[in-house]
Amino acid sequence: MRSVVLPLTLLVVWEAWGTASGNRRTPTPTRVIGAAIDLVMSGDMIEAIATSLARVFAGFAIAALIAIPLGLAMGAFRSIERNVDPLVESFRPIAAIAILPLAILWLGTGTPAAILIVAYAAFFPIVIHTIAGAKLVDPTLLRVAATMGLGRLNTVRTVIVPGALPSIGVGLRIGMGVAWTAIVAAELAVGAKAGGGGSGGIGQMMFVFYAYSIELNRIVACMIAVGLVALALDRALRAALRYAMPWNAQ
Amino acid sequence: MAATPVARRLPDVIAYFRTMAVFVAGWWALSRWTSNPALLPSPFAVVDAIVELVADGEIFMHAGISLGRMLISLGIAALLAIPLGLAMGLRRTLDDVVDPVVELLRPISGIAWIPLALFLFGIGNVLPVFIMTYAAFFPILLGTIAGVRSVDRRFIDVARTMGVARRTIVTRVVVPAALPALLVAVRLGVASSWTAVVAAELIGAPSGVGYAVEWYRELLMTPQVMAFIATIGVLGYLSDRVLRTLAQRFTPWATKLEGVR
Amino acid sequence: MTPVKLRLDNVVKRFGGSGGAQTTAVEDLTLDVAAGEFLVIVGPSGCGKTTVLNLLAGLELPTTGTVALDGRTIRGPGPERGVMFQDYGLFPWHTVRGNVEFGLRHGPAGASLDVAARKRRVQSTIELVGLAGAENKYPHQLSGGMRQRVALARLVANEPDVLLMDEPLAALDAQTRIILQEELLRIWGQDRPAAERRTVVFITHAIDEAVFLADRVAVMTTNPGRLKAVIDVPLDRPRNDATRAHHEFQALGQHIWSLIRNEAYRATVT
Repeated sequence: MRSVVLPLTLLVVWEAWGTASGNRRTPTPTRVIGAAIDLVMSGDMIEAIATSLARVFAGFAIAALIAIPLGLAMGAFRSIERNVDPLVESFRPIAAIAILPLAILWLGTGTPAAILIVAYAAFFPIVIHTIAGAKLVDPTLLRVAATMGLGRLNTVRTVIVPGALPSIGVGLRIGMGVAWTAIVAAELAVGAKAGGGGSGGIGQMMFVFYAYSIELNRIVACMIAVGLVALALDRALRAALRYAMPWNAQ
Repeated sequence: MAATPVARRLPDVIAYFRTMAVFVAGWWALSRWTSNPALLPSPFAVVDAIVELVADGEIFMHAGISLGRMLISLGIAALLAIPLGLAMGLRRTLDDVVDPVVELLRPISGIAWIPLALFLFGIGNVLPVFIMTYAAFFPILLGTIAGVRSVDRRFIDVARTMGVARRTIVTRVVVPAALPALLVAVRLGVASSWTAVVAAELIGAPSGVGYAVEWYRELLMTPQVMAFIATIGVLGYLSDRVLRTLAQRFTPWATKLEGVR
Repeated sequence: MTPVKLRLDNVVKRFGGSGGAQTTAVEDLTLDVAAGEFLVIVGPSGCGKTTVLNLLAGLELPTTGTVALDGRTIRGPGPERGVMFQDYGLFPWHTVRGNVEFGLRHGPAGASLDVAARKRRVQSTIELVGLAGAENKYPHQLSGGMRQRVALARLVANEPDVLLMDEPLAALDAQTRIILQEELLRIWGQDRPAAERRTVVFITHAIDEAVFLADRVAVMTTNPGRLKAVIDVPLDRPRNDATRAHHEFQALGQHIWSLIRNEAYRATVT
């Protein structure tokens, strides 16, 4: 009961304030829901989300396929870390969205650039957490493996990888969140600069509603959709991770 | 990392320069091969651009503007999030009431607010600050709540057995005990808001490093684009470093994991 | 006849909500602690020793029964019953001096002291526990034994009537433990007349430690926690290495062990 008091109160206040303002364009909860229904029924919302999600999954997969093996190698072998880390640490503070102009320059305003941005964004959390996971494996476990005669590579495979999985899982979850934020940002920015044309996806749709039709209710509906998808992605990933790691208390 | 002896860090330092040298060399070779300065300028062109921008002060102007916005945003976000986080961490009932709203808003990233914010504030100074404050708010709030909750119960018990009053326990025990976690939360807030700065300025501001990147892209002056991208990276790195040093200074007892930075 | 300082009367303590999931931590607990006595509680893991301490400290209240200090029912924690916790609970953001001073600065125990008097007491307490010279160090710079002394100093500075100690030496290695056991007795005042000593309730699972320190040993059993026996320890004070060699010391230890042994075994297989 307590948990719905504040949200409900805020919604009621918002509805009242919005309706009282007289302007038909002012967003209110009811109008936003109406706009959302319109968008879903016309298929626009589904299509936009599907486009964005496809890009996210592609970029995320690329990032994970590079970051996890690289992170494990860096975590397990100090010499590899020493040589690769300068690059990782130099680029990490540069957010994906800052790379967007370069991506557009190289790949145009379509899906390839979007996937590049997503992959770049997701790469860093995944690699950082993978390195940490590999490094923080209990040294005693490594000694156990050594006293049983396992070679270095074998130890990586049988001890470090399972030991690092929880941390990798955290990196994947953060990476997924960052990837989703990055795609929305990228599509927004492209929409803004390419004059609302061509790239598709929910970010671009939101910008169109701002710039061309001033459909505030639709903008808010899209914002909520962005939030809901973010939640759904996180839940799905958490469930998948729980399945993959039944021994983990998290 | 303060106390590692120089001798042990030498291989790292050498590797750093070696790797960067290899990277620049590879970049240069690639730029010669594509020979399209608008597409991939040579490293030297970028250095020239940086020198030029530093000389006429343009880098400092935009950097200063963006940093200024970040400081303001951080200030507002911290002023809102830290007291709220302390209260929510200490009082379960308040947390039960406020948390649902937080959890509903949090997945909607600051960037998703940009179209609405464009309509409300237009292009200007307010929009980036609004977006950045929003972006910093949630990490700081959640980190503060977690920090307060993670305060070792024993510290509070110790103070209770000394008859210390409840308010004094909050100020003299809970806050100092939660301070390391609070500083981590602020660092995350800074990272979050610095990411948002670029998106916000790229789309919705007439100045700042994000704006500069986009401005020069439209002019196809790629060396300058890269110069400003590098500036974004350097500023992000320095802000984090400053905060880490402050954390080390004010909470020297908090051991940091070498791993996740 | 020494007066009773602390009394537990038919105390029962249960945890968990109403309905199925309750556990009974202690049951039928009736125990008197005499003023100036050093009472040690031993028992296997999970027998409720810490619960008894928390009840005496006022950090927990009994489900039924009463817990009283000087005849008055205890309703909550307070500086007259000082507590030393198992992991010291030293404030990492305070130096040694800051820690020792804490209760005097922010609690009622220091209310009657002016700043100068407070500083004097803090300094003399630090010297009493043997940490003179380390006043400005932080806990993370101290060894385990030193942290132990700081925790004790912080406790003693408040001049409590009763000292409650929950396995304070458990985190130390065996050699440091022996030294600190003697230090503890010295600070408690085993060299002084009985009337000047404070009341101590001390929890441990180490039987030799119990016999070495105690005037009486209360033996508890587990599941649910109950008082099995209270055993007098008539060994002479002051106690030292020679005491450990005494045949009476060995005999008492053996006797207590025989009371606990079966339960200790079961704890390793269930």
